[in-house]
Amino acid sequence: MHFPLWLLFALITLIFWGTTGVTQKLSTNAISTESSFLWFVVAFLPIALVIVLVVPLDWHIKTRVYCLAIVGGALNGLGALTSFKALESGGKASIVIPLCYLYPLVTIFLALILLHEKVTRTEIAGIVLALVAAILLSREALPEASN
Amino acid sequence: MVAPWLVYSLLTILFWGVWGATSKAVANDIDTYMNQVLFTIGLVPVLILVIRSPRLAGGKNRKRGIFYAFITGILGGVGNITFFKSLTMGGRAAVVVPMTSLAPLVTVVLAFLVLRERMSTSQLIGLAVAGVAIYLLSL
Repeated sequence: MHFPLWLLFALITLIFWGTTGVTQKLSTNAISTESSFLWFVVAFLPIALVIVLVVPLDWHIKTRVYCLAIVGGALNGLGALTSFKALESGGKASIVIPLCYLYPLVTIFLALILLHEKVTRTEIAGIVLALVAAILLSREALPEASN
Repeated sequence: MVAPWLVYSLLTILFWGVWGATSKAVANDIDTYMNQVLFTIGLVPVLILVIRSPRLAGGKNRKRGIFYAFITGILGGVGNITFFKSLTMGGRAAVVVPMTSLAPLVTVVLAFLVLRERMSTSQLIGLAVAGVAIYLLSL
């Protein structure tokens, strides 16, 4: 039987990313959002260091690309920070994480306005379902806080 | 009043949504490894927001908390690399992207098993709808 390598890597990604939702909650159960975020960032440093040492990097990229990639990291970091805070504030991982993963809603909206991309029918269906999902997932949060 | 966790979740959607747009804008001009390095450089200034917080000290169980926070970073960072590896080793984006976007479903299963979280009926329906929505939005 042949199991393609790309599928193995995709499965590892799925499991790794999926597990982070639970490790985030386990972290904020024990320490503050601020500490959690600090050590989360610390973990990225050895990964970047290994890349710089091992992989031949192409530094000849446009200034605009440099800036956007760095700003992207900062925005992702801000989102990581607020997701830690959502979990520390009593949000369940099984609600907060699926809710946060609805972020392509905003991306599609921005791509439409800034990058002048067209919205496909599939995306419209996705947007409508995402809004319904967000309302259903957050229902218990509206009358009172949950734990 | 809206629960704080919901407000922070919505803020996350906003930040990650804008990040998604910046990623789209540079996707064709940069390779995975360079992106991961610049991404990490971008994370550092966000530390300024937390570095002077009095909440950095203490916590119910520091060793345990730090361990899981560090593991979160490693899994997230290595996941970024395996994701692009999958794409460069013959995985079609049309398959790999929707497949990996369903990571929250793995979170839900693990949260049920490890954290013993339970959901209401409307939330379970919401989760199913979210699964379909996330899948469609990633196509």
